Amino acid sequence: MIKLKNVTKTYKRGADDEVVALDDVSLEVAKGEFVFIVGPSGSGKSTFMKLLTREQVPDSGEIWVAGKDLTSLRSWKIPALRREIGYVFQDFKLLPNKSVAENVAFALEVIGKGRREIERRVPEVLELVGLEGKAKAMPHELSGGQQQRVSVARAFVNSPRILLCDEPTGNLDPSTSVGIMKLLDRINRTGATVVMATHDQHIVDSMRRRVIELENGAVVRDQSRGVYGYAG
Amino acid sequence: MSARWRYIIQESGKGLRRNPLMTVAVILSITVSLTLLGATLLLRDQIDLATDDWVDQVEVSIFLCDGTTCPPITDEQRDTLRSDLEEQPVVEEVIFESKDEAYERFTELFKDQPNLLEIVEPDILPASFRVSLVDPDEFLVIAQQFEAYPGVEDIVDQREILTQFLNFTRIVRNGALAVAVIQLAAAALLIGNTILMSAFARREQTAIMKLVGASNWYIRLPFLMEAVITGILGALVSWGLLYGVVPRVTEGLSREVLLMPFIGVQEVIAAGPPLLLAGFGIAAISSIVALWFFQDS
Repeated sequence: MIKLKNVTKTYKRGADDEVVALDDVSLEVAKGEFVFIVGPSGSGKSTFMKLLTREQVPDSGEIWVAGKDLTSLRSWKIPALRREIGYVFQDFKLLPNKSVAENVAFALEVIGKGRREIERRVPEVLELVGLEGKAKAMPHELSGGQQQRVSVARAFVNSPRILLCDEPTGNLDPSTSVGIMKLLDRINRTGATVVMATHDQHIVDSMRRRVIELENGAVVRDQSRGVYGYAG
Repeated sequence: MSARWRYIIQESGKGLRRNPLMTVAVILSITVSLTLLGATLLLRDQIDLATDDWVDQVEVSIFLCDGTTCPPITDEQRDTLRSDLEEQPVVEEVIFESKDEAYERFTELFKDQPNLLEIVEPDILPASFRVSLVDPDEFLVIAQQFEAYPGVEDIVDQREILTQFLNFTRIVRNGALAVAVIQLAAAALLIGNTILMSAFARREQTAIMKLVGASNWYIRLPFLMEAVITGILGALVSWGLLYGVVPRVTEGLSREVLLMPFIGVQEVIAAGPPLLLAGFGIAAISSIVALWFFQDS
């Protein structure tokens, strides 16, 4: 589903000042996997996510996502790629002037889905994330955990094959985070591949899923059923 | 209407209402520039209309005596004049215009000015030879050779009159065009800036749209529509201004300046489509360029 081969990405900060965000990274994520990307700030997690959605292009190496070769992908085909990917942000990024249902429906409207499909799909996905009674609520009326559920619903409403979550529990307290993780696990069980960048040690330790650790842009650990830090 | 188009129209409406003063400023700026542009278009029409009958058809008129200021020309004198004209190598073509034909042409040219037609009797207009030259600059050759011929009342280089008229109108037109171009550039920058502000105000929404896979055109179209609406509104206002003002002015002028035909409502109406096209074009181009910068940043 996701494959990186010798991917290097550097950012220029000045004329002679370069920062290596990813350094010769090669890895593969199979269909239906649940993967944590861990590592300190600046280790390359964000760059990794941005490369998968083609917000950034690598300096060298090859990237395949959902069967598409991103290094040769024409820019007009990027929207089609992103329809295969759901994206959950740390800060939810809900539109404040739209209700819960409208926020979720928005993701379908702007890719040209018909009204009938929207009317069928939005309540379905709100039920999946446990917000069936909140369709008409505005984002500011919701708790952080509920807002993140809306964000997950929006990411998943188009049934993407991949769900990318960038620190989805970063702004939530531990008990709320557990609820979000249960939700992501449920979505993963429907067959979607989930890639989650996180700092949250408790969550990684309790989930016991594959862990890829980045440090200074390099993969320093790739462990199935891993924990946040080195075990023992 | 499909959900897509409803969304696009709603969003462009939101953009226009977000900053109404700015929207008005943009429309006014387009109006000013397009009114000037329209004025230059109409001025060109006016020049064409006024010169249509003169240019190319006749370079030199040799008016013949009809007895008012000099003894009338005899048939014999006229035939001699004609054959001498035709033998002259600088002459390309000689056309005789009788008094009746002169009046006919006159009535055709000034058919919109009945008061002028009333005071001009068919008898007043002189018969003439209308002479076109191989090289219009050879006028003096003709003037010197034929002014002393019996029965010739006057020899007039129509180009001379025309050149003065054309030079004057050209200066006015080019001046207006230059100001119009500067104003259009200002309007284009204003549109671009407004669209950038609009795009910036909606950057979060745009970021989400990009990430869920909305196509680039779907993201840009509301902004483009927003600009195009202001462009077309500006064009319509300028068209209305020209429609309200120009026919009145030319009507007034035609009462003062009797010997020149003037443009009327018809020409102003015809100037509408090019103005709309210009308003549409300037808005579309400047907003596309602005969005291009926005997406790159």
